[in-house]
Amino acid sequence: MQSVEYFEVECPEPLGGEYYNQIANDVLLDHNLIRVVHKLHIYVDPGLPVFVAVGVLHKITTLVRVRDFAAVNPLAGKIVLVLANETYLAPMLKIFLQRFGQDHVEQADRFTVILRDVSTDAREIEEIIVADPSESVYKDLIYAFRCIAPEGFRVRRESYVKSKFYFVASEDTLTADVDALLQAKFALMGEVMP
Amino acid sequence: MILVPITYRGGIYRNNEIVDLIEDIGGYIVQKHVIASEVVLLCFMPQDDVEILRAAAKPLGGEVTDSPLVGTEIAVVIPSLEIHHLPHPACDIAEYLRRLGAKSNMVGLARGVGKRIAALNDEERDVINEHDLAVYVLGNFEKCIEHKMPVLRRGIEAPIVLCGAPDTEALQRCCDPPVDGYIGNVGRFMHRTKETEEITKLDEIVSEITRVLEKKRISIAKDPLSVSPARLMDLIREQVPEIHTVTSPTPLTVQMSGLRVKLPYDSFAEKIRSIGIEDGITIRDVADLSPSRMRDYILVRIRPFSETNVVV
Repeated sequence: MQSVEYFEVECPEPLGGEYYNQIANDVLLDHNLIRVVHKLHIYVDPGLPVFVAVGVLHKITTLVRVRDFAAVNPLAGKIVLVLANETYLAPMLKIFLQRFGQDHVEQADRFTVILRDVSTDAREIEEIIVADPSESVYKDLIYAFRCIAPEGFRVRRESYVKSKFYFVASEDTLTADVDALLQAKFALMGEVMP
Repeated sequence: MILVPITYRGGIYRNNEIVDLIEDIGGYIVQKHVIASEVVLLCFMPQDDVEILRAAAKPLGGEVTDSPLVGTEIAVVIPSLEIHHLPHPACDIAEYLRRLGAKSNMVGLARGVGKRIAALNDEERDVINEHDLAVYVLGNFEKCIEHKMPVLRRGIEAPIVLCGAPDTEALQRCCDPPVDGYIGNVGRFMHRTKETEEITKLDEIVSEITRVLEKKRISIAKDPLSVSPARLMDLIREQVPEIHTVTSPTPLTVQMSGLRVKLPYDSFAEKIRSIGIEDGITIRDVADLSPSRMRDYILVRIRPFSETNVVV
C-alpha cells in the first residue's frame, strides 16, 4: 500500500484490525485498485456491527486510445491495424463498425483489423478513444469492498461523488448515526464528506 | 493385529511388487495415486510388518512414512462457500489435509455468515456428524466467534478443531463448553498460504488434528471395533463389482469407525449387508448401514466388540 498516501484500519480488536489491513491490501492489489486509491480509512466494529470504508481516489485522466494498443499502418487503399493485445478489441470494432460501416471493416485474424476505403487518415484513427477506465472504477471498487467487508454484512450503502467514496455495510439495519460516523472518518483523513 | 496408517511414495517401476507385498502381509491399500512416474499408496499395515515394507522399498528408492491422517474423513466447515473463505484459507487447509492422507470434505454452511444471523440446519449437522472430525475455520473477531460458535456447534458430536484469528488462549476463552482443539492466528485471509510462516501454521493444524484423532483412536481401542474398516473396504471392493464403475476419487471412503460407500442406498444396502466376512458372519452382524445425508450414499457404522461379542 505504499502508493496510497493515507491508509488506516481502525478496529476495537487490534488483531482483527491487522487481519483486515492485510485483507484490504490483498484485495485491492488483486483488483488492480492500489494505484487508483489516494486515501483510505477502514473502520470495522464487530460489536455494533458495522464496516465503514471511506476514501479518496486519484483523478483518472487516462483514456484508452487506439494508439495505446495497436500499430496503425496506412497502405494503398487500406489501413491495417496490428493489435498488441485483445483487451479493447471488441469496443474498438464496435466504434469502427458504427463509424465506417460493415463493408469497410474487416478482421483478418485475432490481432489484425483492416479498414478499406476510409476517408479518415491514420493519425486520426490513432486518436480515437476506445474506453474510459474511470467508468468502471466505481463498480470495481464496490466489488472489492464487498470482498473485504465481513461476510454477512449484506445491508449496504455506498456513494461515489467527485472522486470521494464511502461504503457502509452491516448485518443489521443501518441507523441515522451512520452519517455522523462517515463524517468523523472523513475528518480523520482531513477530508469533508461529499 | 494392530493396523497402522502409512504412506508409500516411490517410482512406478516395480510398484506392483510393493502392492503385492502389502496385500500379502495383511495390509490394505486405501488409495492409490499414480502421478506421472510417481506412485503414492495410502495404506494400513500390520504394525510389526512396517519394517519389512521399508526394507523392500529401499532398493526401489521408495519411502515409507507414518501418516496418522490416512483412513480419516475430515469436514472443513466454513460459514459459506463465498469468496470470503474460498479459495483461501478453506481450500488451503482442506488440500493440505488431503496431501497428508485424510479425505477432506468442504462443508459450506447455508446460513453460517454474520454474527446475529448465523445458523446451522439439520442437514448440515448430520453431514458434519458423519465425519471423524470437523475443522471449523472461522473469522477474525473474537466477539463474533464467541457469539456464533454455540449456534454452529449445536448437535455436533464429531470432535471439533476450531481455527480463528484470535490467539489460542482467546479461542479457548470464547468457547464454552470447550471444543477438542484450537488453532489461533488462522483467520480469514485473501492470499495463498505459501510463506514459511503460513506453512508452519498449516503443520500446526495437522498436528492438532492428529492429537485429537489420537484421543479418539485410544477411546475406540478401549472397546475395539468388530471388524477393521479397511477390511470391510476390501470385502466390498471384491464382492460389489459396481463400486468399480463409480467415478468419485474415493468410491469407498475409510473412516475411523466405519466406511462411506458411494453407491445408492436403496439398490445396494441389502447386498452389502449380506456380504460374508468369515465363518458365516456377515456385515449385517457387525455393522449398521444407514442412508448418508451426503447424496444417496451408504454409511457403514461398525459396531464395537461390546455390542457384537465378535471380532473378525
